[in-house]
Amino acid sequence: MKRYLETGNFAITQGAIIAGCRGFFGYPITPATEIAEAMSRLLPQVGGYYVQTEDETAAMHLAVGAALGGMKTMTATSGPGYILYADPYGWAIGCEIPLVVLNSQRVGPVSGITGAPGQGEFYLTRYPTQGGNFETIVLAPNSAQEAFFLTVEAFYLSERFRTPVTILADQLITDGWEDISIPETDEEKEAMGLRFAERKVHPGPEFYPPTDEIDLPPVVLGHNTGALCSDWTPTEEGYDIETVEAQHKHAYRLIYKIRNHMDLISRYETLFLDDDPEIIAVSFGTPSRVVKTAVKKAREKGVKVGMVRPITLWPFPDDLFNKKAIYLSVELNYDGQLVREVQRAAPCDSEVHFFGKCGELPTVAELHDLFDKLLKGEPLKRQGWETEAW
Amino acid sequence: MDYLAEKYLRPRKIPSTACSGCGLGVIQKALVKAIDELGYGVSDIIWGTSIGCAGRQTFATWKGDGFAGTHGRVYAIARGLRLAIPPEKKLVFTVGDGDAFGIGFNHLLHAARTNTQMTIAVCDNLGYQSTGGQFGWTTPSGVKTDSSPYGMFEPNWVRDDMDVLHILREAGATFLARHVSMDGPRLEATFKKALQNNGFSLVHVIYPCTTNFGNNALGTRRAVDIFRWIKERAAPLGEEREGVIWKTGIYYDASNSRPEFSELMREKVGEIHRRYQNEGAS
Ligand code: SF4
Repeated sequence: MKRYLETGNFAITQGAIIAGCRGFFGYPITPATEIAEAMSRLLPQVGGYYVQTEDETAAMHLAVGAALGGMKTMTATSGPGYILYADPYGWAIGCEIPLVVLNSQRVGPVSGITGAPGQGEFYLTRYPTQGGNFETIVLAPNSAQEAFFLTVEAFYLSERFRTPVTILADQLITDGWEDISIPETDEEKEAMGLRFAERKVHPGPEFYPPTDEIDLPPVVLGHNTGALCSDWTPTEEGYDIETVEAQHKHAYRLIYKIRNHMDLISRYETLFLDDDPEIIAVSFGTPSRVVKTAVKKAREKGVKVGMVRPITLWPFPDDLFNKKAIYLSVELNYDGQLVREVQRAAPCDSEVHFFGKCGELPTVAELHDLFDKLLKGEPLKRQGWETEAW
Repeated sequence: MDYLAEKYLRPRKIPSTACSGCGLGVIQKALVKAIDELGYGVSDIIWGTSIGCAGRQTFATWKGDGFAGTHGRVYAIARGLRLAIPPEKKLVFTVGDGDAFGIGFNHLLHAARTNTQMTIAVCDNLGYQSTGGQFGWTTPSGVKTDSSPYGMFEPNWVRDDMDVLHILREAGATFLARHVSMDGPRLEATFKKALQNNGFSLVHVIYPCTTNFGNNALGTRRAVDIFRWIKERAAPLGEEREGVIWKTGIYYDASNSRPEFSELMREKVGEIHRRYQNEGAS
């Protein structure tokens, strides 16, 4: 095991290389630029390729193209670049091409504040492209160490599920300096729970069977398998077709290959859920670290509060919200995104509240004040506008 | 076409899905013939297509591996793909004028800059025909389409002083040519040269769209009329006459004069990789 005092960006590149990533395609953007820089230095050392492209649309298309040739690939960006991934993201979902995408969220909309953390792309990662009829896998780390772990995991899931996987980080995770342990031996990797899956090549001729099975190899070009892939609805062999029957089979596979294997995907952290929490604070990413401290400290004072931190954001872990409680979603946005899913998943007789900040983290004191108000049934007043609104 | 079709094309896609009288098949036939004459087999080539008539009608016609990319992005996809596939495989693309010179132009320029191996047949039906017939970036001046009802008055990119092939040459392309689909053996000969360039080759081929262009621009769907209309406006380079829009032939041939993108990448990465294997990580 090697220990470093390093950034989340560093941790992510280490995870990618350990997972077998040999192609990184990027376009400079704060706060993910350092991943591209590090990849440009590290990848050639292990025989891998770094290519800087003309824009993010190209970056992800190159990443998908190389993945379609059998390479494990990755690209990393922030919100303004992630939106330009929409086009190739859909193609990769539809053609079922494995690759890993990282989005380090900053403050939006558009370019917003470049050097501060935000969480405005919770829903965008669920619907990273147009058209619907698909399910996505999105993982959200809350530390550099976890970003390392989830990068390896993202490669693993992308291979088994034949789909792009997004790691949804934020500026503090990628830019922040932390103590990071990188395993070196196979034993250390195993002890850390890292999982690996190699790229396989689909032999054809039925590249798109109507099934929710996973572990089918993806389409790979260049192996003379007669491989076909396109942006149109495919027949089982990959020919383009315009019938609702074929489209139904295709959509069924894209949705249920993921939904029917949640046990392989779901990750979360909870606190005091079995200890009668009256309030359950919900958050992911960096703010969850403040929430965790606030919850623990409140418990020390006897406040009956618990915590849910989804690590797998999508598919959304509805099962984590089956307790009746007062839910408080703490997010780095002002419009309230995670809270909408919490309200949908929580029992109907639960109260669901929202506390949003953006560009800066909530404080423990602020959260304690909120817990207090919620228990007293007072409205959540805040500066700038009267009550919580989402 | 029987021999060529049997050897190189998928029976499921014969006959073609293009409208009857469409000139697209003639271009594809010339390209497949060139491939055959050079002795390439099905497994030597990965065939890429895109959106629009040129993409949709040629997708999955090639017996070997093939793909249809998102609109205008095959040139970007290709740069990634080339790094992962065996270096001896060739990429051959049939795309449309809107795809190459409109939505995909930025990626096309960067594919030219990097001299990435791809032989691109830009099958030009003079506008956006699969959407019913709107003007494009090569639609001749004055021509009426569904979106230029008063005649095409925007400048297009096929003019002596503003030619898309000149832009591509400046951008780094190593083989550039223009033809009309009626050029027959000359078109085949050009495709043969384009395929032998281990770099960025683009052959721009004007072809008659009988369904939409013919109807909108010329007021007829009669194939012979549209064929004649195009033919009258084309002449080999050096034999230009009054009223010629498309000068046909090879515009630029610097085949194999500079490193191909994936070859360069493999070489550089190979060097660095070996150095680090010998010395250990820095
Ligand atoms: S619309 Fe025109 S270009 Fe398209 S297939 Fe029909 S004839 Fe050919």
